[in-house]
Amino acid sequence: MLRPKVFSAGRDGQIRVKLNDGAREFLEVVVDSIIAAETNHEHEWHATLHRPITPELDADDPLRVFERQQILESNAAVMKASIRNATISTAEAWAWLATMQLALRARTAEAGVNTEDDLKKAKPQELETIQALQFFLFELSSALL
Amino acid sequence: MNVHDERPQETTGTDTLIRDTQETERAWSVVVWDDPVTPMAVVTLVFKKVFGYSESKATQLMLQVHHDGRSAVWSGSRDRAEGYCIKLHAFGLQATVEQA
Repeated sequence: MLRPKVFSAGRDGQIRVKLNDGAREFLEVVVDSIIAAETNHEHEWHATLHRPITPELDADDPLRVFERQQILESNAAVMKASIRNATISTAEAWAWLATMQLALRARTAEAGVNTEDDLKKAKPQELETIQALQFFLFELSSALL
Repeated sequence: MNVHDERPQETTGTDTLIRDTQETERAWSVVVWDDPVTPMAVVTLVFKKVFGYSESKATQLMLQVHHDGRSAVWSGSRDRAEGYCIKLHAFGLQATVEQA
């Protein structure tokens, strides 16, 4: 029997979102963490969101850094505003994809997972979050193809 | 210049200007780095979205990242390279800009 899709593209251009309350709460925590990490320099995820753009230079162009911050905050705000919706637009779906992918990278960096071997050694709780985000990303990318 | 002429060459102001111009005009590359968790489908999708690449080109670059650990996915001016890089960062991909 085919498993129902979590995200499915409709003919009207909308993406249907079939997430239960638990999944939506999980993603709400994720998006709140991104919003908190963007502005709080002490947050465990902050460094992952502020990787160097041109490492060979002493410092990145502040305007570029600001531009990136604006995009990250905008995507997270869009996801936060639409997290309980039964359908989302394609633009909202891209914001969800970007925010979930950022969270995946940040959670992975926080857990010290940099290689395949690190991933095999990850703690069950860390692995659970990573795999959940990978699942949602894979499902959403299928709907955006 | 005669390549067999081993006498020391005097550097003129014009030579310096040409070298500086060539240095400035060297292309900048957007390099995407592999990570152990990002789904392959997401990387391909983001390459298509950010650069407008075809499915086959995006897939080829994604596989190069996966197998070689990195791939120079775009080359051109520094300004545009940095613009692409921040878009990739916004999609959570590990990317940097470097001079080719």
